[in-house]
Amino acid sequence: MTTKSQDVNALFEQWILDAETRLQEEDMFTKIKSYLESTHPEICGKCIPCRDGVPKLERLFDKYIQGEATLKDLKEIERIVYNLRASRCSVGLDIGKNMEVILENNYNVLYSPVKKY
Amino acid sequence: MAKITINGQLVKVKKGTTILSAARQLGIDIPTLCFLEEINEIGFCRICVVEVEGEQDLISACNTEITNGMVIQTDSDKVRQSREATLQLLASRHRFDCWRCPKDGMCEFYDLLKSHDVVFEEFGPGIGRSSDLIAGSGISQDQSKCVLCKRCVAVCQNVVTANVLKFRDDDDPMNPIVSPTPGLAFDDAGCIFCGQCVKACPTGTLFETDHTNDVLTFLRNKDDHVVVQLDTRVNGAIAESFGYDIDTPFEETFGKTVKALELLGFDTVTTLDYGEDYHARATAEELLKRLEDKDNLPLFTSSCPASTRFLELYEPERLDHIATVKSPHILQGSQLKHKLLKQKPANTKVVTLSSCTAKKYERTREELVTAGVADVDTALTVREITKLMKQKGIAYRNLEAATPDPAVTSEHVAVQGGVLVAVLNAAHQIKTGEPLAELTFKHVHGEKESDGFIEEATVQLGEAKLNVARVIGGAAFKELFARSNKKNYHLIEFLMCPGGCLNGGGMPIHKNLTTHEVIARRETSYCDGGTDLPLSNPLHNHLVDDNFADDPSIHTGYSQKEYRKE
Ligand code: SF4
Ligand code: SF4
Ligand code: SF4
Ligand code: FES
Repeated sequence: MTTKSQDVNALFEQWILDAETRLQEEDMFTKIKSYLESTHPEICGKCIPCRDGVPKLERLFDKYIQGEATLKDLKEIERIVYNLRASRCSVGLDIGKNMEVILENNYNVLYSPVKKY
Repeated sequence: MAKITINGQLVKVKKGTTILSAARQLGIDIPTLCFLEEINEIGFCRICVVEVEGEQDLISACNTEITNGMVIQTDSDKVRQSREATLQLLASRHRFDCWRCPKDGMCEFYDLLKSHDVVFEEFGPGIGRSSDLIAGSGISQDQSKCVLCKRCVAVCQNVVTANVLKFRDDDDPMNPIVSPTPGLAFDDAGCIFCGQCVKACPTGTLFETDHTNDVLTFLRNKDDHVVVQLDTRVNGAIAESFGYDIDTPFEETFGKTVKALELLGFDTVTTLDYGEDYHARATAEELLKRLEDKDNLPLFTSSCPASTRFLELYEPERLDHIATVKSPHILQGSQLKHKLLKQKPANTKVVTLSSCTAKKYERTREELVTAGVADVDTALTVREITKLMKQKGIAYRNLEAATPDPAVTSEHVAVQGGVLVAVLNAAHQIKTGEPLAELTFKHVHGEKESDGFIEEATVQLGEAKLNVARVIGGAAFKELFARSNKKNYHLIEFLMCPGGCLNGGGMPIHKNLTTHEVIARRETSYCDGGTDLPLSNPLHNHLVDDNFADDPSIHTGYSQKEYRKE
């Protein structure tokens, strides 16, 4: 991402660490959500995967924060994250790649609180 | 030439081809939504994405050129899943009421949803994309169905050149909207109501303002005598809507259309031939007078209301050039009420049925009133009338042929038509006593409909040699004005819609045919035999001859109109 998102990159580096340090669950979800929110100023609003995908991801992380996430929501997060690879420019593509890393490194954290039934 | 592989097939294609057109040449269809060939190739919607070997990300096929050796998958799992996710996101912000949607079965978005596995949950309609209608006398907009593809914006800007619709992402890029100036109706935002955006919109977001209820109200009122005046050029389009081939000959279906209109309850069914001939003859007289007085030449024809409104809004210094003769359907409406029919003018309701959304606006003009009564009461498009016919359960295909009311209808003759031809022929005959021997136009501008066409001819009219031109499509208006700085024209016909009235904003939509093909096939259906036909001559119309009088009721005026754009 561009220089504008220095803080975002800093945050992001921390998460990769988090994979080992294991942050508190709630903390992690609000952080992911605030990362997503912090990308808004860069989103140009032209293409669907990014413009509508990012807010949809935020709604899904809300569910985590409220302790209501289900396995379906986790699958949904995956789908929408992977679909960021269809974005029109590097803003969406980069958000997607960052989110993919988050999923890879923290899947266990994301998986454990979901309501499986 | 470049070698590429699409879904395992090795092919050679021209360099510079897009992935989309390369695939289509092979018979492989890649779904699209925001793409309009050569008009909107902006890669917004991401429905057309494909997988390219060696690329980590998905690539949009509509605006990516092929490169030598490319290996492309158009329907891999990854691709399908992405399309499904994208459609799901779009659907979750869309207000669905397909059964009463103005798109009426022609929705590209619905088709995409149908051909993909899309399950979604709403997560709130986009802020600002409310379902409050943006009103307009000719077209309206319901943003809650907008998929933000920008097709309408591209058409309004480049094909029509009115620049009314804009993609607005300044305030909140996460929730952009497409609209005319926020807070204003289309009438105040500089719209000319050509309806080309309605045709370009893949969803039911933009649509012609619905006047079917006006008509139903007239028909229910026992005191009203309701007349429908049918532009015969749309007969084929009505038949199309009932499953006839687009090129079915006119004679085969015209009688059925008349019958269907009778069944709907219209008291008088007539065509617009009378108004067209009357208008052409009166315009010919006006032309001759202006030539004599050397006054305000070139004369602009007044038959296309989108064009005259365009001039009122954007070229106010040219308004003196527009013929003061009312447009054909307005003129005929006034004649029907005050001369041709026996009923009281105030109780006669005239409904125009044509291919045009601008006529909806036009009939609201304060200027178009005779003795305190509006000349035309409402205007319907083909899509609206077929909706009414279907609601009424009219089995169009099984109908016996009927004929329009002979007392008020001119005989319909197959001629080489168009306003310009008719005006010139009439002017020639009035001036010299003989009709024109021949008239050939030279195509001088425009490669395809969306560029706008300019056709020119020179005509010997007695001593005088006239330069005449026909401009078809708003995109060519500028070019014509530039030419008119160098060349002295005497008569110019303006048509706003690309390809002319057969491609009017109110015509049925064809998803699988190009504009060019649609127009060509509609032409064949309307006047098979094309160029061998005699030139249209309004002086041969007996009904017009019996009634022709150059009185003030057939004239109108034009004035600069205001608008605000942001
Ligand atoms: S725009 Fe299409 S999908 Fe939306 S309500 Fe209309 S028909 Fe249905
Ligand atoms: S009707 Fe014509 S002028 Fe009006 S917004 Fe649509 S394309 Fe533009
Ligand atoms: S109004 Fe129609 S054509 Fe215009 S952006 Fe919205 S969906 Fe696309
Ligand atoms: S059709 Fe290609 S991105 Fe919309």
